[in-house]
Amino acid sequence: MNQTHILSWILFTPLIGAIVLLFVPRQLDNAQRVIGNVFGFLGLAVSLPLIWRFQIGTPGYQFRENYDWIPSIGAHYSLGIDGISFLLVMLTTILGAISILSSWSAIQNRKKEYYILFLLLQTGMLGVFMALDFFLFYLFWEVMLVPMYFLIGVWGSDRRLYAAIKFFLYTLAGSVLMLLAILALYYRAHEVAGAGAAYTFDIPTSLGAVPQFSTTLQRILFWGFFFAFAIKVPMFPFHTWLPDAHTEAPTAGSVILAGVLLKMGTYGFIRFSLPLLPTDAVARQHIINILMVLSVVGIIYGALVCLMQKDMKKLIAYSSVSHLGFCTLGIFALNPHGVSGSVIQQINHGISTGALFLIVGVLYERRHTRMISEYGGLSTPMPNFAAIYLIATLSSLGLPLLNGFIGEFTILSGVFQVSLRWTAWAVVGIVLGAAYLLWLYQRVMFGPVTNPMNEHLPDLNMREYATLVPLMLLAFWIGIYPKPLFRVLDVPVRQIVEQVNPGYYNSATAQRWGEKPPVAAANDAARTESDSTKALAASAPPAIIAASSEPIAVNTAEKR
Amino acid sequence: MVPIGHYIFLSVALLAIGIVGIVTRRNVIIILMSIELILNAVNINLVAFSRLVGSVEGQIFAIFIITDAAAEAAVGLGIIIAFFRNRETVLADEMDILKW
Amino acid sequence: MFPPRQDVLRLMPEIILSLSGILLMLIEPFLSGARRTLIVTLAALGSGLALVSTIYPATLPGTAFSGLLRIDGFSVFVHVVVEAVAFLVIIGSADYLDREKIQHGEYYALVLFATVGMCVMAGAAELMTAFVGLETSSISTYILAGYRRDVPRSNESAMKYFLLGSFATAFFLYGIALLYGATGTTQLARMTFPTTPGRERLLDLGLGLMLVGLAFKIAAAPFQLWTPDVYEGAPTPVTALMASGPKAAAFALLLRILATVGAAGTFWFWALWVSAALTMFVGNLAAIAQSNVKRMLAYSSISHAGYILVALAAAAASDQVELGVAAVLYYLAVYALMKLGAFIFVSQLGGESERHMEIDDFRGLAVRQPVAAACFALFLLSLLGLPVTSGFLGKFYIFNAALASRLIWLAVLLAINTVIAAFYYLRVIVVMYMRQPNQTWPPAPMPWAVTFVLSIAAAGTFYLGLFPGRVMALATQAALSLPGR
Repeated sequence: MNQTHILSWILFTPLIGAIVLLFVPRQLDNAQRVIGNVFGFLGLAVSLPLIWRFQIGTPGYQFRENYDWIPSIGAHYSLGIDGISFLLVMLTTILGAISILSSWSAIQNRKKEYYILFLLLQTGMLGVFMALDFFLFYLFWEVMLVPMYFLIGVWGSDRRLYAAIKFFLYTLAGSVLMLLAILALYYRAHEVAGAGAAYTFDIPTSLGAVPQFSTTLQRILFWGFFFAFAIKVPMFPFHTWLPDAHTEAPTAGSVILAGVLLKMGTYGFIRFSLPLLPTDAVARQHIINILMVLSVVGIIYGALVCLMQKDMKKLIAYSSVSHLGFCTLGIFALNPHGVSGSVIQQINHGISTGALFLIVGVLYERRHTRMISEYGGLSTPMPNFAAIYLIATLSSLGLPLLNGFIGEFTILSGVFQVSLRWTAWAVVGIVLGAAYLLWLYQRVMFGPVTNPMNEHLPDLNMREYATLVPLMLLAFWIGIYPKPLFRVLDVPVRQIVEQVNPGYYNSATAQRWGEKPPVAAANDAARTESDSTKALAASAPPAIIAASSEPIAVNTAEKR
Repeated sequence: MVPIGHYIFLSVALLAIGIVGIVTRRNVIIILMSIELILNAVNINLVAFSRLVGSVEGQIFAIFIITDAAAEAAVGLGIIIAFFRNRETVLADEMDILKW
Repeated sequence: MFPPRQDVLRLMPEIILSLSGILLMLIEPFLSGARRTLIVTLAALGSGLALVSTIYPATLPGTAFSGLLRIDGFSVFVHVVVEAVAFLVIIGSADYLDREKIQHGEYYALVLFATVGMCVMAGAAELMTAFVGLETSSISTYILAGYRRDVPRSNESAMKYFLLGSFATAFFLYGIALLYGATGTTQLARMTFPTTPGRERLLDLGLGLMLVGLAFKIAAAPFQLWTPDVYEGAPTPVTALMASGPKAAAFALLLRILATVGAAGTFWFWALWVSAALTMFVGNLAAIAQSNVKRMLAYSSISHAGYILVALAAAAASDQVELGVAAVLYYLAVYALMKLGAFIFVSQLGGESERHMEIDDFRGLAVRQPVAAACFALFLLSLLGLPVTSGFLGKFYIFNAALASRLIWLAVLLAINTVIAAFYYLRVIVVMYMRQPNQTWPPAPMPWAVTFVLSIAAAGTFYLGLFPGRVMALATQAALSLPGR
């Protein structure tokens, strides 16, 4: 396999930027933000070649890089993306560049640290989506915690300390459990592989061994990973950190938090939790039921809480709980519509909620308040702003021709194949969503200007257009012509569904929904061994695992 | 010959006296003496065992311990004097600047 | 009468350390004027040379002095750790001693002697040697703890350290005596399970008492009570030494006994398990309540002893001793660097007479001394165990060893503790980065020596956090070099 370094470049460009910034003297105030922005855009620029170099329809991971990192435990520096991570990587680089640009005037003190941390954050998030090694994955997963913590804690608003610490502790608690689960998986996978096999953290290899575990262990592993992801998403009972963190974070932080960080949770669900679902039908159904209920509760609860918010940012934060509920709902429908709809919805949420946070940021920069009651009738002084805000609102509530509709509709069609009841509840969530978003819009934008301070607010400036317009274009594009996205997702989603829900493609439901039986057999031969997640599900993994690395196993095996 | 049990009994008695002294007495110098008692209990044990198992290691060890006890006492008394100079007390429960 | 040449070479680091210590004490009375520079240079040179000369024992493994010492990969690893600690502490103390006006040669001599003791402990293959090493290091540190002679806190610290330390030594000795009675030898390698009836009880009792004695030294619960007081009262560079050096040496001794004496593993296992769990919780929970940074770091070192005990329990539990032992060794190296860095930083920031030790004094430090604050934040994050820092990999290897030995609950407790620990480490970071600067006192500029120590510690923290392969390989080799059970 020819190794390209494009992923490494994407991954480390922000880091290089952070290091360069480290050496920019503190006095050069302007240089710091210029350099920060340059690297923000450079990060986007180096990721653009992915768009034409990514081969749609090729199963498995692409752009793989694989080097030994800590041979004694079998940890590798191993990167690669498939359709799902490709979309998320692009989302990260786009939103990253936009949020860095949006901080231009919002961040006034300690710019140097701000941009350094932001760039570090960017590297951390990209790493999570690219890593194909559990150890590396965990590293990035945890690393990204620190810059976010500082971003909230240093540049946030009034209750920032509380929010920052809460965010940190919640996430840390989840991820430590995940570390234990990763290790358990690591050992068990090695045992399953048989004596002589090397220990490895390789994600496809480890997950491939899961079907051979006992149901109890599968269950334990599933829940071990579950908490880390559920906290990140956040799913219903674990969501309480989110409103605080979103509300207190600086605008750019909120954009990234909502746009990308939460997606790490859903990405984890798709990439790890699905393959970890117990093979035993009863145990699996049990887990699915719990998750479906939690998702639906999240959707409805988040929407209801939104209706009562006085603070714009908090409202949008709670709307994330509701929207992410759709994403998890789709994932655990375990069919292609559900999963690909979920990924699309994740992208959509990044775009529309990111835009909404930027919009609140625009207002906040002008008036330094986020209280809804302070505003009203803004469409008079700020007509262009009103238009963009309207588009963002409509895209977030799922109006046809805008992106939100595509995601939600696909998810609902996926969930519908599984259960009518859950679909019905989710639709209630959509209705409520329309209610709170439109009501918010109405309160802020329509009517007479009630507050004299709002009479002469300036409309958007060039930089603000530059941050918002691209997102609007993306929203329209996905709303009108989502086909490229579905094409990118088709193969990876198919692979995942085949693996976790093997009966699906032959079932009557699938036929009715026009799904063709898998073309798996033909592709299998062409696939390289480490690329495949699912071939392992069926057959014996030793050969594949043995192909990886060596030492510690030798050490332990040759014990005196 | 005195059976080994007697030596062990004596040694355990000394150990017990030492521990009780350390735990109950307030005067630092008495605590120091109690520690010395335990060290001597160790010495008795070592020498007795040395006879029992027929090796000379125990006796050599006892000499080391005697030397060490001397060094320890010297340093200990030095510390006590420094402490006394500043605080005019040698009572353990008056060592209360740092939360105990 | 003269010992064989290679025995002497194997003992080179200890010899160099002792000689430089003695030399320092001898020449000090004859110096005047620019003596400070000369003394510090000599001391640093001595410890640096000792570090370099560790190459001799590294290339000449084997037993020395008729089996009193055992020079193997294990002892070399610990040698390097404690010698590096001594080197950094010596460089890091100079400015502190100036500020407190206690710049004397014997301070450095005592640090060097303490290091000799620790080195001997690391190589001891026999309990008499172990005892001599233990006492050499302990007595030197007793004096160092009370080195600010005119300060009541320092006196009190030394007093408490001395009383509890010698109490612990007495226990340790009593244990040795019983062990000797049970097995008829003080050679660790020859301590087989006694065949004479009635003596197993003696062996168990002896091992138990020894464990108690060493538990005092490593500050394992329930014998940790002295730690916060002593660490808080001692001069801060000495605290840095105490927290990293002697602890490493005591753990090394524990490990060697564990690996060499077959009965110890089985007999100690539950004691280690319970103590590990207790120590982690006691340290972390108490640390949350602290307002004094130095004291908080003291409690944090208790909790870290708990983490290391988890790996020790893992080594005791399984037949794969080396996984646990390597984890302990790696963590000791990692821990020594980050803890040393943190304490040296605190010693610098504390200012004259250690006045600024409250968390509140760190307010807004990031604005006033960004680089130093970043270093300290790095150490704290490493102590917390976040990836990219060495603390994470250290903890990872412990998790790894614990799970390999099927100590699942202990691993879970460790995970819980990591989260608890986040509370107090983050608090300091919050104060440094997210509060307005305290305007009442200007922070002193960082002297170059302190900067040097901090950069070494920070660089090590990154290196061990990103590229653990090499050091871990050494640790594994070291673990394998222990005589198997």
